[in-house]
Amino acid sequence: MTALSPTRSVLALIEEGATSIGDIARRAGLDRGVVDMAVQRLVAQGYLSAVPLAIGCPDEGCGACPSGDGDRPGCGGTPTAGPVMITVVPSRR
Amino acid sequence: MSNCHAAIAADADAGSPQVALVGNANVGKSTLFNQVSGARQQLGNWPGTTVEVARTDWRPRDPHGHELHLSVVDLPGAASLNPVSPDEQLTHDLLLATDGSERPAVVVAVVDASAIARCLYLLAQIRELPQRVIVALTMVDVATRRGVEVDVAALEAAVGVPVVAVDPRRRSATAVLSGAVARSLAEPAPSPRPVTLADTGIGAVDPFAEDDDRFLWVQSVLDQAMTDRPSDHQTWSDRIDRVATAPVVGPLLFLAVMWLVFQITTTVAAPLQDALDTLVAGPVSDGARTLFSAVGLGGSAVEGFVVDGLVAGVGMLLTFLPLMALMFLLLAVLESSGYLARAAVVTDRAMRAIGLPGRAFLPLIVGFGCNVPAIAATRVLPDAHQRVLTSLLVPFTACSARLTVFVLVGATFFGSNAGNVVFGMYVLSIVLVIGIGLLLRSTLWRTMGAEALVIDLPAYHLPTLNQVTVMTWARVAAFLRTAGGIIVVTVAAVWLVSAIPAPGSGGSLANVPVEDSLFAASAETLAPVFEPAGFGDWHATSALMVGFVAKEAVISSWAQTYAAEEPADAAKPGALGDRLREDFDASSGGHPTAAVFAFLTFLLAYTPCVATLAALNREIGRRWMLASVAISVSTAWVLAVAVFQVGRLLS
Repeated sequence: MTALSPTRSVLALIEEGATSIGDIARRAGLDRGVVDMAVQRLVAQGYLSAVPLAIGCPDEGCGACPSGDGDRPGCGGTPTAGPVMITVVPSRR
Repeated sequence: MSNCHAAIAADADAGSPQVALVGNANVGKSTLFNQVSGARQQLGNWPGTTVEVARTDWRPRDPHGHELHLSVVDLPGAASLNPVSPDEQLTHDLLLATDGSERPAVVVAVVDASAIARCLYLLAQIRELPQRVIVALTMVDVATRRGVEVDVAALEAAVGVPVVAVDPRRRSATAVLSGAVARSLAEPAPSPRPVTLADTGIGAVDPFAEDDDRFLWVQSVLDQAMTDRPSDHQTWSDRIDRVATAPVVGPLLFLAVMWLVFQITTTVAAPLQDALDTLVAGPVSDGARTLFSAVGLGGSAVEGFVVDGLVAGVGMLLTFLPLMALMFLLLAVLESSGYLARAAVVTDRAMRAIGLPGRAFLPLIVGFGCNVPAIAATRVLPDAHQRVLTSLLVPFTACSARLTVFVLVGATFFGSNAGNVVFGMYVLSIVLVIGIGLLLRSTLWRTMGAEALVIDLPAYHLPTLNQVTVMTWARVAAFLRTAGGIIVVTVAAVWLVSAIPAPGSGGSLANVPVEDSLFAASAETLAPVFEPAGFGDWHATSALMVGFVAKEAVISSWAQTYAAEEPADAAKPGALGDRLREDFDASSGGHPTAAVFAFLTFLLAYTPCVATLAALNREIGRRWMLASVAISVSTAWVLAVAVFQVGRLLS
């Protein structure tokens, strides 16, 4: 993978099916922190979207969850904790 | 320390050169500031903003012994100079201020050696400014423990400004920093880092050009300054993930883990469940009857409602408490350790392989806990067709309420193989999601595109006892709260309909055998529909009718109707299984195993509960909600008939 444009490399690898930051870093020959930052920048620019992936938690927070207590988590966790799901925004491709 | 939230003075000591501490969050910046300021710091909002900053006067001595009069400001954490928050905006405005008098004389860029790459992006931007900069390298000890060695001299040469390694927790940090600041002030600002925009050949302005320049600079600095780092980006989590998320081994491992969860759940909790069953069906029911006899209500309708309704129905649910608690505990361990997130990768890959939208896996995974929030979670899907398709698939995910019934039926009919049966239903649920998804995709939405997707997986870690206990207790309590409410209401409703005599049965209100009640009569009307599936019996049909309201109520309904048939049969506590077996044997013409599998298949595939229907109506409208009912009920019936007929031939 070319190092001429780290940003395009990261974007291309996501589109090719890379499934984790470590995987992208390995395949692009970039440091994991660089990939992390590139993803952050792509999200900020609207090329990628990032959704917190709290398994078991509804998207709109604890209010809609049977384990929730009002708007607070009943599970002891926070709705935004955990892994993040990143997808390419089709309109910006 | 003064601590007021009024606006802080922009320059506490007019004329004093200003030193700004800048850096990402959690890099030791504020600890360093506290070491410098001691007890003299002021806390307040930056003028004209709501951003809180800390400031202090600093009087260190330069290398010649002269006292310096400095003003130090601790700016909020910022990942870059591309502001996305008021905190970052302040850092951006201050460093890029057009009015030179507001700019700090020296910027101390605090860089965490253990997460150096993330910090260097901000440094790359700062170095593009005509600014004196000192890099304060923190967390060197943490980096060393993680196998990361930073060569300070090489880093200094690579970034083109002084670098000092400091431990902000030690007083020596102040002396090291003051010397560097004094030397820096004695020199003019270094030349800004030249920005090289690579020729991309695309002609127009490349939106990634500036970022790419910085990333290449960061990578170059890392290559020069990092003398030792974990080989080939491999952490323990990466090594485990090579197996856990591998295309073939990953899904197999996931299935093996889930099989183990259900095996442990059914085998370890079984003795506890038996003990509770004996307790509820024996001493608790007997005690309640004795109590009613003592107050003169023995044999009354009230006794029937309480003992045969509430005690039998709610009691039956309570016997499953150890089982549910153990299952939630094991799932909490998987979730806390980070493994369950890997299931998302595995699922996503399977979904992409068959052409379904990758994002759909999120609501589907939520659906294995509860279908209601899963329907709501379809909002993450940007495309209306994807939302409808995923919403139609969610009801096929085996929610925890259905798992409870699978466990009851599995334990009743299959003994030590109960875990395998529950696991089989879980796998069938996944197969149904994929199969129905493919069918709908190939018929209704052929043009839907798949999306690329990446998951930023957290590192694996050992779950803490507190974390797992809290998650388990919260879910058990929530299950009991929700299921308890539903069951009390359905028990009351079933008891009421069971107390009304069917037309022509000859009984009177609250004085009619349950098989002659309106409840049994209505179930008997529907029962022939299920004869091809081997469970055309009113008990099974009535349980499915009640299960339409909520699956948790299937168990209580059975317990209630069978207890009402033989209320005084205390000699056979916990004999629900025997009666179920007898009825399935009779309705299936001697093929009870095939009939039970058909019943479980129907239970898995038909409409989960009314709450899910309400969620479907809200999210995708009445027409699609009705379509969902039609799809799930017809799929359930066809599959149940197929399972029974094939099973009958094989048995």
